[in-house]
Amino acid sequence: MADSDGEYVQDASDDEYLGGINSYGTRTQGKGKVRARENARPQQAWESAIRTGLDTFKEAADGTIQQSVQEREEERKRKRLRKDARPFQRGIIRHVVLVLDLSEAMLEKDMRPNRYITIIKYTQEYVREFFEQNPISQMSVMAMHDGLCLRVSELSGNPTDHIGAIQGLRFPKNPRDVPKEPKGSPSLQNALELARATLYHTPSHGTREVIIILGALLSLDPGDIHATIKSCVRDRLHVNVIGMGGRLRICQEIVGRTNAGDESGYVVATDQESLRDLLLATTTPPVIRSTAAETFSGEMETTATPAESAASLLMMGFPSRIIDNVPTLCACHGNLTRGGYTCPRCSVKICSLPATCPGCHLTVILSTHLARSYHHLFPLRLWKAVSWHKAKKKGSRECVGCLSLFPDPPAEETEASNGIIADDASDSEVDDKAEEEVGQQKASESSRYQCRSCKSHFCIDCDLFCHEVLHNCPGCLSQANSSAAVVQDVNTDVAMIG
Amino acid sequence: MNAIDATDRHIKSTDGPPPSLLAIILDTNPHAWAHLSSILPLSKAVASLLVFINAHLASGNANEVAVIASHSQRTHWLYPTPTLPTPHSTSTSNGHDANGTVPENANKYRPFAVIETAILSNLTTLLNSTTASSLSATSTTQISGALSTALSYISKSHIRHSPVDPTINDHSTITTPDTDGILGQQRVSLTSRILILSVSGDLANQYIPVMNAIFAAQRQRIPIDILKLAGDTVLLQQACDATGGIYMAPESPQGLLQYLMMGFLPDATARRALVLPSAGSVDFRAACFCHRKVVDIGYVCSVCLSIFCIPSLPDSKCLTCDSHLSLSTTLTVTPALIPRKKKKRKRGPGESATPAGSSTPAPGSGTPTHS
Repeated sequence: MADSDGEYVQDASDDEYLGGINSYGTRTQGKGKVRARENARPQQAWESAIRTGLDTFKEAADGTIQQSVQEREEERKRKRLRKDARPFQRGIIRHVVLVLDLSEAMLEKDMRPNRYITIIKYTQEYVREFFEQNPISQMSVMAMHDGLCLRVSELSGNPTDHIGAIQGLRFPKNPRDVPKEPKGSPSLQNALELARATLYHTPSHGTREVIIILGALLSLDPGDIHATIKSCVRDRLHVNVIGMGGRLRICQEIVGRTNAGDESGYVVATDQESLRDLLLATTTPPVIRSTAAETFSGEMETTATPAESAASLLMMGFPSRIIDNVPTLCACHGNLTRGGYTCPRCSVKICSLPATCPGCHLTVILSTHLARSYHHLFPLRLWKAVSWHKAKKKGSRECVGCLSLFPDPPAEETEASNGIIADDASDSEVDDKAEEEVGQQKASESSRYQCRSCKSHFCIDCDLFCHEVLHNCPGCLSQANSSAAVVQDVNTDVAMIG
Repeated sequence: MNAIDATDRHIKSTDGPPPSLLAIILDTNPHAWAHLSSILPLSKAVASLLVFINAHLASGNANEVAVIASHSQRTHWLYPTPTLPTPHSTSTSNGHDANGTVPENANKYRPFAVIETAILSNLTTLLNSTTASSLSATSTTQISGALSTALSYISKSHIRHSPVDPTINDHSTITTPDTDGILGQQRVSLTSRILILSVSGDLANQYIPVMNAIFAAQRQRIPIDILKLAGDTVLLQQACDATGGIYMAPESPQGLLQYLMMGFLPDATARRALVLPSAGSVDFRAACFCHRKVVDIGYVCSVCLSIFCIPSLPDSKCLTCDSHLSLSTTLTVTPALIPRKKKKRKRGPGESATPAGSSTPAPGSGTPTHS
């Protein structure tokens, strides 16, 4: 729940939907609230004291820092676990426009070999990961180059199209084309307008997202970008910006206004690694917010603004696979292939799935593609760190998943015993809940991590693997009948962000 | 350098195939084995499996094996033997020392004997702990748990074997004495695979966890092989197809050992050069959530991705997630026909025999056609 200030958010979105109040009006009206929020503003990085990495290490009793180093390592690993512990309703069917910056700021060499080549490399990886996570989504790639916004690839659900097009920027397929080199200034307005036009006709049950990777610290616009932002809000676009170098006020405004006041979509990469992490973080489907309009659903039908995400039934075809004796042409690319799938409605041959049938525009997918998205809907709850006291009580000696041994609990029981009893009393379920809500991920002192439902202990590597790749808890599923119960439990919990 | 001090200091290069880890999931569902007992009793199957494991270990020095039983109520490690949690104990005995009671047999290669005794003793404990009441509760098997456990074990083994090993200093206790010696040359990437010896059908209640496991295996490039002795599940077929494993459903399970040796012994390196038994056609059709009918064209809820066979749901609410579905009108409303007005004028002038709506001359005068 990033936006706790619900009232303020409501105001802002109402303004946008009515469209009547100009920006000056909102500013004077919301002054009191803004001041109140300023007090609670977290300290910025440059305001805090200088921290060196060294003083955070603690020396153990025997004078080594081995334990401390190891803990830091585990902490770093766990930080990567995303905090999607609570199941939210997510936009599974996404329509995403990825906007790359090809302005001259991308020739900076703070990333190796330079920002441009780095971003070309990462976006190819991103496209692959995106379609792995969102098999029934659509994507289009654009580039801001010399004041204009160019369309690199059309809106489609085929990853190879996009990867080929992105590669084609540097190494064009047609030898007469010149490779695109970063040039000029970017224009956020042009990019938003083109993205808006691209996403204009997409159906209402899907999301409309724009992800902008911005290297420059400026935007050279032909007109009033605020008008563009306003029309983006009206068309229900959600803009995320990944910046480099520094934060821009205009980006903050774009992200905040298009995401109902939530500015967490604007992030700035500090180095190459963080750029990659931030980019890949957007492959997780976004949380759906219930809009103000949806609450009075009765009158909703008559008003002009459609609901944020009108859930609907989609007609989809589940084809059967065929293998011909002789190669035949596929309808989608015109290639000669032997294997393929036939559209259940018009019997046209399609070579790869998921796809929109070229003959009858039916969405043709496999049921396994749908199953790929289930882990976003039913995520695995985060595991909690286990204290030495609890580890001793349970007496676990190896990880349930991989059977690797845990370190043994320390022997000094007498000196700690007083503290433990007090600690035990406070260490209740309430405490647990709070920790999960905040998403605080600390390393465990005993290197054990406990599943909240089956109480099995796991090592850090299994913790990461189960949450990032497997999305199952080996402990829960290995016990009698608990698997069904877990799914049920999760199922009733699906919530919407208000 | 070698020339100067005249020592033959060749660097040990890894020339052989990479070590391979075979994770075997033995489905020990008592119901299914009771059905099979006349053809292939469990004891015979386990004996064949042990021969197969020995063959796998013998085909490479660094090969490893892990065996998990997927029982009706829980999954159980058969090899390596897990250490049971012992509350309030600080003993430091290594878990793998538990198998120290290997009977001395001069005629048997010791690693074979170690694994054999471990598997047999663990299987016996598992079967002894199975009560009649627990059996009557369910007739399926915990294949999803076994798959998840196998995958996390494999992933940890991968980390342990990766050329840059982050865990080796931290957890130096985990390397057992016998692997320590060959650790240096083991630092090449491990190839691993999963073999499921499946006897039970109907895994529909574990659809989501099994699917998650399949996708995890696909991402890690771990093939899942299936040897299906009885029962039939589409789910496991899809697992093979997605991960590039081998699916085999032999007609005569008596020849289990031969199937194992001929079909499943080659590891990923060898499989590139072989013609593999093909899975044939895999059924990819989806079953709807409302009537369990297999559908060609279905209707999918955009919120929770449930599949339905009819577009008109009660109260237009999704049966799974209860969200209100606004049906797009193109799906529910049959297209209206615009009535033609011209025909009435046409009929007025003369030829009343011509059926309405046909602009072509009528073939016969009295032919009844639609009006």
